[in-house]
Amino acid sequence: MRKIVQYSLLIVLAFSSLSFQQQSNYDTNAKVKAVFLYNFTKYFKWPEKMRTGNFVIQVVGSNSSLNVELNKMASTKQVGAQKIEIKNSSSFATDPPQILFILGSESDILKDAINKLKGKGSLIVTEKPGLAKAGAVINFVVEENKQRFEYSQNNAKKAGLITGEGLNGLAIVVD
Amino acid sequence: MEAQKLCQEKKYEQAIYIIDKVVVHAETKDDPAAWHIRSYAYIQTYKQINLPTQAKTYMLDTAMVSVQKSIKLDTKKEYYENNMAFIKSASSSYYKLATILLKDSLNDVKADTNYFKYKKYYGIYSPEFDFKEKDIGYYTAKGSLFAELYIKNNFNQRYGDVAKAALLKVLELDPKNISANMNLGVLYYNQGATLMRMMDYDIDLSQLDVIQENAKKLFKQSLPFMIKVYELNPNESKALEGLEGIYNALLDEAKANEFKQKKEENQKQK
Repeated sequence: MRKIVQYSLLIVLAFSSLSFQQQSNYDTNAKVKAVFLYNFTKYFKWPEKMRTGNFVIQVVGSNSSLNVELNKMASTKQVGAQKIEIKNSSSFATDPPQILFILGSESDILKDAINKLKGKGSLIVTEKPGLAKAGAVINFVVEENKQRFEYSQNNAKKAGLITGEGLNGLAIVVD
Repeated sequence: MEAQKLCQEKKYEQAIYIIDKVVVHAETKDDPAAWHIRSYAYIQTYKQINLPTQAKTYMLDTAMVSVQKSIKLDTKKEYYENNMAFIKSASSSYYKLATILLKDSLNDVKADTNYFKYKKYYGIYSPEFDFKEKDIGYYTAKGSLFAELYIKNNFNQRYGDVAKAALLKVLELDPKNISANMNLGVLYYNQGATLMRMMDYDIDLSQLDVIQENAKKLFKQSLPFMIKVYELNPNESKALEGLEGIYNALLDEAKANEFKQKKEENQKQK
């Protein structure tokens, strides 16, 4: 229809009305979280045994947009010499991943995950208010229409991660 | 007169060659008939000869300068009706030129120039004419066209700015214009979403905060336009979808869900 050349402005109007498309299917929040997750790899040091093989980011719960973003990220980025591997599951597996991201809908598994992964060097990330105080190392929160994150240095140490001070200035520190 | 005869024989280019000399000659430079014939010859050349747009504009401009000169000199109003007919015809040609320049050449500046000429000359022909609807039509077409170009050309900033200015002009004339409100809402939203889409995964966290802040401003700018569309037509599915998307981008889950539900209910009713 748009290829028909008509010089009447009325006809121009007829096909221009409401034709401009919104990218409403693009999940900006998924992109922001993917950027955050990749950045976290720069601020933590994983135990020696976690620095070989693939760098696994395991997502528990369903978020197809996030999955797409993380896989895009994995196809273009690495963590040091490690390739990034994205695992998606509906429940928590016992193999310790480098990052375990528990989506909001699956927050109930946090306690179990903390117990099973204690000292094994898994960075546990959540996205529900209050979970940094409940044991997560990183907890995504919304502040003034922006994505930010809470950070617990104590929980990071308990998880067996070595951390620098760099993250404190960027995070909402909870302890 | 020789030039008039040549015009009757449709030899307009030869007529122009002669009449251009007549209108500068000391004895005929103040003759309204000469200027009238000159105007006619240029209009006909404009209509009949396939020239580049710029050359065509020159033909039309020369015709209009001539016709105005003829009107000024024509104290007895002998050529008044014909001169007015020329003005009406030329103003319509400027309108067509504006559309061609806009749509085919994407030359918004020259399109505007020709649109202003259309208004100027049509205003001489019909001084009482209200241009509001024409203005709304022109700026809506311009805004919608450049908004689409903005997306198709990798979010070219200039196209986005031209679209915004045109659509804001429409709202100045008609604040309840659904198309302009919708397109402005979408335009601002898309600019914000693009900032997010284009950022690299390893951008540092302080930069991420700046990008989030800038995107947030754009999402907030898009909101009042999309809300206006919703207020004007609560069943407009694109407004419901748009508001769901904007609130999602603003991380306002409750509001996003509210409009998601409304969108789903609206779809069921259809």
